[in-house]
Amino acid sequence: MSTFSFIEATSWQCAECHQPLQPTKVNVTYLNSVFNVELMACSQCGFILVPEHLAVGKMLEVEQLLEDK
Amino acid sequence: MDQLQLRAIEFRCIQEEQPFCTASCPIHVDVRAFMAGLAKGDLREARRVLDRTMPFPEIIGRICDQPCYSFCKRGEIGEPLATARLERFCVTNSTTVLKPPKLPAKGGTVAVVGSGLSGMTAALDLGRKGRQATLTTSVPGLGGSLRGYPETILPSETLQQAATLLAGYGVILQLATPVDREFIAALPAKYDAVYFDFDEIDATLLPFAVGRPDPLTLSLKHAGCFAGGGIPEGASVFSVIKQVEDGRRAALTIERYLQKVSLTAQREMEGACTTRMYTVTTGMPHLAQTIPADLAIGYTAAEARQEAGRCIHCECLECVKQCVYLREYKEYPKTLVRKVYNNQSIVQGTRNANKMINSCSLCGQCTTICPHDFPVADVCRTTRQEMVRGGQMPPSAHDFALEDMRFSLSSFCTLNRHQPGTASSRYVFYPGCQLAGSAPEAVKSTYQYLTGQLQGGVGLMLGCCGIPAHWAGEEKLFAETMEGFRAELERLGNPTVITACSSCLSIFQEFAGDVQISSLWQVLDTLELPVHPDLLPRQSLTIHDPCTARHQAGLQASVRSICNKLGLNIVENRFNGKLTDCCGYGGLMQYANPLLGAKAAVVKAARSEFDGLAYCAMCRDNLAASGKRVAHLLEYIFPVFEANEPLDRKNPGFSQRHENRARLQQDLLTTLWREPSAPEPEHKKIRILLTQEVLDQLNRRLILEEDVQKVIHQASRTGRHLINPDNNHRLACYKPVRVTYWVEYEPTDQGFVIYNGYSHRMLLPEEKP
Repeated sequence: MSTFSFIEATSWQCAECHQPLQPTKVNVTYLNSVFNVELMACSQCGFILVPEHLAVGKMLEVEQLLEDK
Repeated sequence: MDQLQLRAIEFRCIQEEQPFCTASCPIHVDVRAFMAGLAKGDLREARRVLDRTMPFPEIIGRICDQPCYSFCKRGEIGEPLATARLERFCVTNSTTVLKPPKLPAKGGTVAVVGSGLSGMTAALDLGRKGRQATLTTSVPGLGGSLRGYPETILPSETLQQAATLLAGYGVILQLATPVDREFIAALPAKYDAVYFDFDEIDATLLPFAVGRPDPLTLSLKHAGCFAGGGIPEGASVFSVIKQVEDGRRAALTIERYLQKVSLTAQREMEGACTTRMYTVTTGMPHLAQTIPADLAIGYTAAEARQEAGRCIHCECLECVKQCVYLREYKEYPKTLVRKVYNNQSIVQGTRNANKMINSCSLCGQCTTICPHDFPVADVCRTTRQEMVRGGQMPPSAHDFALEDMRFSLSSFCTLNRHQPGTASSRYVFYPGCQLAGSAPEAVKSTYQYLTGQLQGGVGLMLGCCGIPAHWAGEEKLFAETMEGFRAELERLGNPTVITACSSCLSIFQEFAGDVQISSLWQVLDTLELPVHPDLLPRQSLTIHDPCTARHQAGLQASVRSICNKLGLNIVENRFNGKLTDCCGYGGLMQYANPLLGAKAAVVKAARSEFDGLAYCAMCRDNLAASGKRVAHLLEYIFPVFEANEPLDRKNPGFSQRHENRARLQQDLLTTLWREPSAPEPEHKKIRILLTQEVLDQLNRRLILEEDVQKVIHQASRTGRHLINPDNNHRLACYKPVRVTYWVEYEPTDQGFVIYNGYSHRMLLPEEKP
């Protein structure tokens, strides 16, 4: 399965671990579909950042596509 | 919906019926398309229309007796279109554009006796179908009685062109050949079929008993013999287009005869027929017929264009003209239901019509307008039920509205009590969830007023009738809600329900069984009302009836009677009562399709230039959101003295409506019943500070202030959030039910300043579905 990369430079840091976010491969799922994506996340606790442009852009697009399948 | 049901429903939409001119034309020329071509000056396009249907346009176009004339709708608003004159203009100024193909020869020989227009037409149609036709006439040329027309009307070259055309399709022409009893007697043995054109051949010349031609098939009693043309029995004048009809009808019969199939099956639509087309001419400008400057020459190009421009292009679309939803999707009911059907037939692949199905307001305006009561709302609503049952309903379509409904039915908002200090109720006031959310003060005042006016105890029920679930196709949830309502009502001793909401009223009337229901307006109309003339607006207001009161004539009359008693100046608009529009809330349109919902509110608001008066809380708020000055009727019966002008009250938005419902319950419980309300959840104690801009963004993204509080509460509790050292903003997320909310915020001494909020439905690895 191919991985879609959404890594980007970000000022957000993990408040709990005091760590900058690192590109991390994760699986996101919706309606029985699994996607391999690379997102920025805390390397220590795994807190994943979903930036606004991704949530209201590509992610929403894919959600709606899947909802009509 | 199965195929049969689909066809039965489709049949009710008459948009694709023939227009009146085409239906009344014996050969069904597409006059509407012909006029469209001429009106834009496209002579070739107009000629193409004639070539497609007319066997000999050069002839018929010059002498058509236009039986369509008296059926033309333009006749209701000016004289009918001068179709024959326009045909003449077309064929005298154009040459053949379209030449129908000749099918491969397929055997069978046909004799056509007599060369009138019906014989010519029969021979041509048979030649085109690949049958070998032989046309015999005793005279030296074609045309039968057409030869009697003066040269100026029908030049003889048109008949010569016809002979060339016939020969081109392989028709054998035997001109100047004696046709006597002996010749005719020999034909049945020599040919597979024989057609007699009575325009030229006298029936008494036939050597065998034939009887009159059968009107449907033109068959004679003698096997393989057919006849038509001339002036039929009972008619007094010679009709050119009737000759064409007979020739065409005979050719079709002979074709079937040669194929040995039924001569009679499915021939109802041949010849002039009736149509179910429905075209309203009211309001269209009256236009007189264009008279050619030179009658002998006929129309000039400019005159023809002007005359064809009078065609009103008969169609129905009465529902589409009013419905913002049908217009948005560029459908009329027949095409819409077909798309719905196809959408539901998809097993694997994308169901492109899901959003369309979920965008209908289910308001029923189209059904009321439709001459055949086309049930768009029923189709959309029952399809939504099918989608929910089949697990195909997109989760995002109605989720927010259903969560809102669950909140209204939660312990934070519901209240079911007898009047304070009493143990039984003759009545119970049911304001409905949206009035409680929009105007809680009006609910309190109305309840206090009713308890003072009505004898026998007036209980109170705060809740939701379940209509969002009904609209969303969630049958199970809706049934549970209705069951819950009935159980509570029974617990109160089945008092008469007085509801302020016409949606609740419609739902209870249809689904709550033998429960006694009244509308608040009808009750108020029987009581002495508090009158505050100083607080009423001086200007006239137009009433906006809600769509769910469309068929509640009594309720509508009570509202007007109340306005009259209060001293409000009311003006009606044309789209009230039965024809009223939905504000965008109906059918959960504004959740499934927010942009369309907003458009619906704008359309409803624009039905009158006067300031508005609503008596449905959702109409009030959605019209206000569209920018219209609009008040709720209760605000003039029970004015809140310190409040601003009711006409300028803003749309409270989703969060405020939530808050209002919960506070209303708390207030009433503590002040009237002296009972403690349910403890406020911890997250509600979080103080958030928002600019209007951020609040509007949250509303558009269907994020409640309470969702924001939940995110911050969760982040504070667990310590899990992100931080931006540049500006000290924090970013946290939380998924209370199905949606993950993200909030960007900053803690300050005054509370949490909110900068942004967004959401997604996709699950991150640590989240559970």
